[in-house]
Amino acid sequence: MIQVTIQLLAFFAAAVLVIIGIAGMLFLDNLIKKIIAFTLLSDGVNLLLVAVGYVEGGIVSILLPGMSTSEFASRAVLVFPVGIVLTNIVIGVSTTAILVALAIVLYRRYGTLKASKVLKGERR
Amino acid sequence: MTESISNLWSIALLVTIPIFATIIVNLLFNRNRAIKYISLISALSLVVITILSPYGFQWFTGQPALNPNTLTFTFDASIPAWRMALEFYFGPLQQVLIFVMALILVLVIGIATNGLTKNQGPYIGMIFLLFMSAAIIIMVNDLYHLWIAVEIGSLVVVGVVAASGEGIGQKAALKYALFSALSGAGLAIALALILGLTGYSNISDAIRYIQTTNLAGMSSILYVAFGFFILSWIYAGGLVPIHPLKSEVYGAAFPHGTAMLQAQSKLMLVAIGLVMLRLFGSLPFAREVMLSISVLTMMLGVVMALLQTDLRWILAYLIVSHSGLVTVGISLGTYDALVGGLFQAVNDVLYMSVLLLGCEAVYYFGKGTSTKTAVGIAKKAPWLALAMVLGTFAASGIPPFNGFQSKIILIQSALKVGLPEVAVVILILSVTTFIALFRGIYSIFLKPAETTPLAVSGSVPSEAQEDDKETPIPRGLYLSLAILVVITLILGVYPDLVIRFLTPVAQAVSIPWYP
Amino acid sequence: MIELSASFMVVAYVMVIGITIGAVAALLQKDLLRAAFISGAECIALAFFFQALLAPDIGLTQAIVGTVLLPGIIILGIFKTRRTEEE
Repeated sequence: MIQVTIQLLAFFAAAVLVIIGIAGMLFLDNLIKKIIAFTLLSDGVNLLLVAVGYVEGGIVSILLPGMSTSEFASRAVLVFPVGIVLTNIVIGVSTTAILVALAIVLYRRYGTLKASKVLKGERR
Repeated sequence: MTESISNLWSIALLVTIPIFATIIVNLLFNRNRAIKYISLISALSLVVITILSPYGFQWFTGQPALNPNTLTFTFDASIPAWRMALEFYFGPLQQVLIFVMALILVLVIGIATNGLTKNQGPYIGMIFLLFMSAAIIIMVNDLYHLWIAVEIGSLVVVGVVAASGEGIGQKAALKYALFSALSGAGLAIALALILGLTGYSNISDAIRYIQTTNLAGMSSILYVAFGFFILSWIYAGGLVPIHPLKSEVYGAAFPHGTAMLQAQSKLMLVAIGLVMLRLFGSLPFAREVMLSISVLTMMLGVVMALLQTDLRWILAYLIVSHSGLVTVGISLGTYDALVGGLFQAVNDVLYMSVLLLGCEAVYYFGKGTSTKTAVGIAKKAPWLALAMVLGTFAASGIPPFNGFQSKIILIQSALKVGLPEVAVVILILSVTTFIALFRGIYSIFLKPAETTPLAVSGSVPSEAQEDDKETPIPRGLYLSLAILVVITLILGVYPDLVIRFLTPVAQAVSIPWYP
Repeated sequence: MIELSASFMVVAYVMVIGITIGAVAALLQKDLLRAAFISGAECIALAFFFQALLAPDIGLTQAIVGTVLLPGIIILGIFKTRRTEEE
């Protein structure tokens, strides 16, 4: 019997978000829906990273006054994934902005948001 | 040159000079003369820094402690500080690859500042950012910066392609952006998995942990991480399942932009490929998967190139199929094959730039690059035709040029590990490259221009035939072509000039191939 | 300490359900504007989950970015194009 911890729940939720995101990006036909699916995928990656850094029974990684460094080192959740997640949030926003801008430009050119029409290859 | 233990000055400059240049040219926006001088000076300074720099490291956290016995806190309090963390390394491989990239950057900026008139600032800025992402990705030794560089590079590629302003360019940009979002997220997942498995983001540390620790039951996680790495490798080089997409990207951008894009793509292929070889090279079937993807890329890319009727698109597919040569060398993984693959990356960037800049020059005759409309240019520009023919010789591996040297090393190493099939595929690729390119170049340059329309339509004034906007080719373009052709010739005669930079990496990374 | 982590478990269970339902509902919605809002609500659940995972700084960032900035960009795109999904 696996004991359900909060970390396991986080891995489960991250897997759900990643699978829903990838499936949505691949199979949905609307460009805006694809972009929303990408934000879900990015959220799933964030959750996975934070869950990797979680320490069972740990404390928030802020060095409070009066706390010894070795105790902090042994109990605090990992700091590095937090930095990665902040980067990923920024990258997710900029990627979303570029995708939305390209979708607007292509909507003006072709008059539709259907990916099967907009992204169809041209005969050369 | 010796390696210093403190942070190296040149690594920071190689990353920050392109960023500052980007900011400044963005602010100047349309002041073309100022943009030209500032960007040329920045690019030339990058070349000079690459030549002068010693070899060494740049640490971002966990710098070497003053006393080796003191341990600083990062993840695990028992880990010595100095292999800890986010690390850039500038060595011989990095020097030669960044030098080639910076050379292409100078030439491309010289051309782009002359050719473009509108929105020059942002475009030049994006070209600088392309250089920066490629320079970071070839220097990193940690997964975090690898992922960041891949993400920045993909966004900038999207920008450069969309800047061409045609419908097909914007379509290719959106498709590439969607796929790069997917593969970037995949690379982040791989980073999270390796971080969770080993506790390190530094690649050397992660490899040491994987090799020295018994990963009982957890080794399947490595396979998942390998799968996501393969995804981002495929995306970076346009390998086999997405080769039509990447060739659309190459074909839709301006040709000088494509010269930059293909250089960045080769550097990304080399960097991610070496990381994969180091991290997963000992897994069963890992290198077989990489090798089969490479061989399929070579075959399919060159077949698609034979079907095209536009020089731009022939080159686009050929670039993708020649990426397969680089990845064959890396995925074979022996010493000889690695030297051949890395040398092929250098040569590929150079001779493809010759062909792409020649393709750019064809545009100045005002009839496009289709083999049906543009004919008989050799009479107007004999030197251009000569450069294109020499570039074709280099690309198809004809002896006095550099393509021959790397291809012969690759063929010999494929034979040595007992895979004559791969050697045959490389030979077929060379011959087919020659056919595809020469077909395009013959009809654009050498086929005599048809004069029948003039004779038939006698009532039409003869000015109607001359209404195409034919402009003289700028001298800078000829100068760039000459420089590149001379370099391909020199490297073909003296390959040791580059190979001696590649041997340390090949010795450090190579793994014997056992089928 | 024990009761704190137990309450975090309850939060985590609720938020996992919230995230899953939100993600599926956002992608099944025909109205794109509503889909953008639902994805924002899913980000609120995610922010609480980050809080439970002892990463409050990420929770704050995610709450702001995920509920204001990302749906804002997407809604801008919807206003510039069209609101409903075409057949």
